[in-house]
Amino acid sequence: MYKVAVSGINAVDNPGPGVGIAKSLKEGDKELRVFGLAYDAMEPGIYMDWLIDRSFIMPYPSEGEELFLNRLLYIKEKYGLDAVIPALDAELPLFIKGAQYLKNLGIKTFLPTQEQFNLRAKDKLPEVAERIGVKVPRTVVVTSYEELSKAVSELGFPVMIKGIFYKAYKVQNMAQATAYFNSIVSEWGYPIIVQEVVSGEEMNVVGVGDGEGGHFGLVGIKKLWITSLGKIWTGVTVKNEKLLEAVEGFVSVYSWRGAFEFECIATDSDVYLIEINPRFPAWVYFSTGVGVNLPYRLLQAALGVEPERSWDYEAGKLYVRYTDDLVTDMGRFQKIVTSGEV
Amino acid sequence: MKKPYEKPVIFKLKTGFMNKFGGGSYFLKKVRSEIEGISVDELVKEFGSPLFVFSERKLRQKFRELKNAFTLRYPNVEFSWSYKTNYLDAICAILHDEGETAEVVSEFEYEKARRLGVPGNKIIYNGPYKPLDSLRVAVREGARINVDHFEEIADLEQVADELGAKPRIGIRLNMDTGIQPQWSRFGFNLESGQAIDAVKRIAAGGKLELVGLHCHIGTFILEPRAYEQEVKKMVEFAYRIEEEFGFKIEYLDIGGGFPSKNRLRGIYLPPDVAVPSVDEFAEGVCNALLSSLRPGDYPKLILESGRAIVDEAGYLITTVHAAKRMPNGRKAYVVDAGVNILFTAFWYHFNVELDREVNGPAEPCILYGPLCMNIDVVDDMVQLPPLPRGTRLILSPVGAYNVTQWMQFIRYRPNVVLIGENGEVELIREAEDLSDIVRRERLPERLELKWKD
Amino acid sequence: MGKLQKLAMSDEGFIFDPETGSSFTVNQTGLFILKLLKEGKSQEEVVEALTEEFDVSREEAARDLIDFLEQLRLNGLLREEKSV
Repeated sequence: MYKVAVSGINAVDNPGPGVGIAKSLKEGDKELRVFGLAYDAMEPGIYMDWLIDRSFIMPYPSEGEELFLNRLLYIKEKYGLDAVIPALDAELPLFIKGAQYLKNLGIKTFLPTQEQFNLRAKDKLPEVAERIGVKVPRTVVVTSYEELSKAVSELGFPVMIKGIFYKAYKVQNMAQATAYFNSIVSEWGYPIIVQEVVSGEEMNVVGVGDGEGGHFGLVGIKKLWITSLGKIWTGVTVKNEKLLEAVEGFVSVYSWRGAFEFECIATDSDVYLIEINPRFPAWVYFSTGVGVNLPYRLLQAALGVEPERSWDYEAGKLYVRYTDDLVTDMGRFQKIVTSGEV
Repeated sequence: MKKPYEKPVIFKLKTGFMNKFGGGSYFLKKVRSEIEGISVDELVKEFGSPLFVFSERKLRQKFRELKNAFTLRYPNVEFSWSYKTNYLDAICAILHDEGETAEVVSEFEYEKARRLGVPGNKIIYNGPYKPLDSLRVAVREGARINVDHFEEIADLEQVADELGAKPRIGIRLNMDTGIQPQWSRFGFNLESGQAIDAVKRIAAGGKLELVGLHCHIGTFILEPRAYEQEVKKMVEFAYRIEEEFGFKIEYLDIGGGFPSKNRLRGIYLPPDVAVPSVDEFAEGVCNALLSSLRPGDYPKLILESGRAIVDEAGYLITTVHAAKRMPNGRKAYVVDAGVNILFTAFWYHFNVELDREVNGPAEPCILYGPLCMNIDVVDDMVQLPPLPRGTRLILSPVGAYNVTQWMQFIRYRPNVVLIGENGEVELIREAEDLSDIVRRERLPERLELKWKD
Repeated sequence: MGKLQKLAMSDEGFIFDPETGSSFTVNQTGLFILKLLKEGKSQEEVVEALTEEFDVSREEAARDLIDFLEQLRLNGLLREEKSV
């Protein structure tokens, strides 16, 4: 009976992928024990005991590596822990750096390498797109006003002004452009990305690379309805040959290892790469629902078991998120607050 | 057998902050009972509290990291010790021993370097205010002078006439490298054409030889790309000068500004994530150099790093004098070191370590210094367990800018010790007493007090 | 007293105030004091009990009790100046 920890069990209005991963794992193997790694005693996953068998409060990654890894070691020693599937952006650098250390402790992961992780940086995307034969919206990386005004005069309004990790704004004029340039710089620093606006269908692909150029399945979707926070609420599976070929190209060129989400815009003739996330998206259960249980396959790969590779899903399957209510007593809350685990 | 005691505390739970580790150190034991193998207790017993402690091992190690990072990537590099970050003789002597020259920004620092035994030609003289007399000395002794403004060009020409020499000088540039705020008050602006005007002026005068370019883009720069920009623009400018005026630029001085692993106020990420490694800076600078220089041309690259080398080599031991509960419920401590000797407390959240294990959950606390002034706050938000009086806190990194910007105000400045590589503790600056402060005072006889004891 | 009597306290140091819906955590020393206060013990008696139970001087215990009572007041768990 394997024990696996997942993070991102904050199934709130801006959800983490953890609960979807846990649900997939349980469908893959009913015997599996799933541990939730939480950052706040109010994360809903802690209270969903039919999916998450045990929950632990984790120190923030910003508190430093040692504290974080020691917490995992504590879980390993006290309850046993065979693998971890981290699902939050802020944790990934730490897990990637600590992967070997965790492996030595007997905690398996299946993560991209640091070099692969770096590819997701927005200023690297044009390079990636060129190698795999897709387009990127014309993009200029700038670090000063001088370059900003040069860039927008090249691209023409409207343009997107983006930070290197987070934030993206569509702007119509120079005043807006400089305003967002300043606000992103003050929060996230340099450089700033100035990008052409492309119109087309926004499509995403979730997948798991095997680290040797192949993969354990891909599922392509289109978001039909998004919330005011930009999160998917309903979606539909799609089979866009050009897009799936491009993603297979990406996996094979870079020998991508681990989970990823490939975000793009497809037009009649072209695929434009928008973003690569080096982890599962929050809607990952969609893939499981259409018969391609990517989280479970990733777990098998981490444990050294050859996973299934078939990914013949049907186009036109619908994904519908919905809200639910749960009533419980204070015991679980009290325990996680006082002891940090429940 | 009585139970071990822990001070009583109660915390209210708030959504979004229900993390046992919450920004703090529940399981992280930040205990430091020794520095470089010497017990904190012993140090305080012998030298008192507060006490600055420098580690020679760490200082040399930090310098060598920087040196290796750059010399492995570029064949012609000079490191020049930024005196203003720390000009204690012992610290400078160690870095000169490592091969650093001296970078000074005032006649006081110039004199201090000379007194220590640094020859004139191993001094780089920067700064916006260089009195004429000091320029005479600097030219005579062969120091490298980086000119800040047009008046200084005229001053140097006057000195050249007087001494019958042709001083070899650099000019300081400022430019847009994407860093905000842009430092434009020092040197000549590149984009506006002011810099090329300065070169024209020097060429027209015919009394000075322009051999260097200097630029310092800012401080605590977290963006290696800014240095790439700086270097590219400097190389481009150097070639333009060579072509148009025939001056061969022999050195490119890119200043300092590299960050240390200190936590800047207002930045969430911990320094091990937010602060790029020295290798990333070196990679950026050297790649930009090698890709913009002509084949076979390797002008000297000069670095004036101070903080990145010395900050992490310095610690301050301070002692808890009293505990307070503020009206808003916040816990506060009064410690014996304040902003009088910790100028950088205005910029950073220091790493705070305790000299002993203290039981009890951490809560956010304020550290007040000993001054009778509202601004004397060493940290307004540090997670600490309930501390008994007399607990010693070890603050770091504090090696840069504190022992140069500290002020005497209402307290004497404390001892500064160096823990040598040989493991010995040596006093490198003695604590002040009344005589240091009154030595320069003159009381007119008519004002002498006639009170009887 | 009132307020203190109504608080739900667990041995792990979890406190729930049914009137306001607020939750608190308290460490073992704090819990020890709260239980005594709930029993109506005076400040002197609490200090006495602290020195008997824990390895602490009377002076430190008295000083810390003042601070703890202040924390209770600030959290609305003790009404006004009470001669506890």
